[in-house]
Parts: sequence; structure tokens; C-alpha cells
Amino acid sequence: MAEQQTIYEKISNRFFAIPTVAQWWAKRSAQRTAGLVDLSTGIPFAQLCKPLHQSKVALLTTGGIHLPSQSGFDMVNPDGDATYREIPGDVAIEQITITHKYYDHTDADADLNVIFPLAHFRDLVKKQVIGALASRHYGFMGHIDGAQLPILNERTAPEVAAKLRADGVDFAFLTPA
Amino acid sequence: MGLIARAIETAGIPTVSISITKDLTESVGVPRAVFVKWPLGHPLGEPQNAAQQRTLIFDALSLLKTTQTPGIIAEPGYRWRREEYAEPVWERLRD
Repeated sequence: MAEQQTIYEKISNRFFAIPTVAQWWAKRSAQRTAGLVDLSTGIPFAQLCKPLHQSKVALLTTGGIHLPSQSGFDMVNPDGDATYREIPGDVAIEQITITHKYYDHTDADADLNVIFPLAHFRDLVKKQVIGALASRHYGFMGHIDGAQLPILNERTAPEVAAKLRADGVDFAFLTPA
Repeated sequence: MGLIARAIETAGIPTVSISITKDLTESVGVPRAVFVKWPLGHPLGEPQNAAQQRTLIFDALSLLKTTQTPGIIAEPGYRWRREEYAEPVWERLRD
């Protein structure tokens, strides 16, 4: 779906790009999402059980990345879009595009490493710092709210977790927008 | 994004996240994160600044190797556009 920003949205994105404003927004969002996660059960935790140079990594970002052949994210639903796009491991990085009108991605468009550092991780595999890259990576869109939250929590996030397991991934590296 | 990290970790796979929104990362209970007070849309820094981007990756991988308890948020304290970065010494991540 086409990403058409209103002037208000453009100004708003500039405003929220200011670090202090972003922190203020995070504090408000944190209060709103407080009931969403049951912290009484604790924070889930798994240990890396291999050396890094023998581990397989998958990259995930909520920066709204996808391939031109895949449909973009839903920019109309105010609750966002909890679906995801699979990015093949052998992708030509310059093919990756971004649909996300809720942050200013001018810099990420200029250099995808700003939100999705696949080029750096390819180099780290070459340098044998990391064992291998997974055969697929994942693009989500941030800005998930309302009715889309349970979809993320109960369906799409566990689905991706299961795919990571199926691919023998040892750890995941996540970047927000 | 924190919810995705939690789902992956619940499936038994460790995660390491970059955070630019500390309160949100804390309230959601992200397993491990490196927090930088940078603009939204720039978790690894500025475009074409490879040393900066790779420093964040290095910090995240170090955190992944060393954390023993959930909910750790590392704060290297890099100031936006006011730091000089060098290529990390990757050998330090070797076991």
C-alpha cells in the first residue's frame, strides 16, 4: 500500500526524531502498554549455548522493510499492521524497500545498515566472528496498537519464533525503527 | 519489538535488541538490550558511519555473550553526533 504522508505526519516524524521527544513518547507508551505484558511470569530468557563464531544469526527489524515483490505494510489501519515479511538470506540488499510512515526513514533509505545491518553481518561471517547467517530474516512494522497487538503476540511473533527454530537459528538480533 | 523478542526467547532462542526507547523496553520486559538515546529511525546510528554502526553491533554481541540474567539494558552512553568511533576489536568476542 502506498505510503503517502500528510504534512502533519511529516512534521510529526521530524518532531519525534528528536531524542528527548522520543524518550517522552516512550514513557507514555510504556504506561499504555503496562497491562499488556504479564511481568509476574518474569522475562523469558535463553542463554547462547555456542561460541559466536559457531552460531547462526537471524536479523529482525520493526523498521517496515520488505521486498518490492511483497505487499507493503498497512498504512491505513491506525492500529498498524502485525504481519511480517520474510527477507531471503541471499537478498540483494539494494532491493530492500521500506514502507512505514510513522518514522522518518530518509537515513535508512540512504543506508539500510541504519536499521537492518545485513551488510555488516555478512562481513562478520566472512571475518568468522559469527558462524553463519540464517536463510531468512524478518521485517515487521512497529507502531502496533489496539487490535493488532494480540495478533502480534498470539500469532505472528510466535510464528516467526517457530521459523527461527526450524532454521536452526542460535540467536536473533533485533532493531526497532 | 519487545514483544517479538519475548516470543523468540520463549521459544528458547536468545535475542539481543537495540533500544532507542528505554521506558518502553523496560516496561515490556525485553530480555537484553543496548540502549542509546538517539533519534527514532536510527538504532545503529547515522548513514555511512560504518564504525558507529559496527560499534553498536559489537556492544550488542558482547551483551549477548555475557548476560546471565534477563532484563539487562546496557547503556554505553554514546551522544548523538558527538562521538568518534573506531572499528571494534572483534577478536575480543572470541572464546
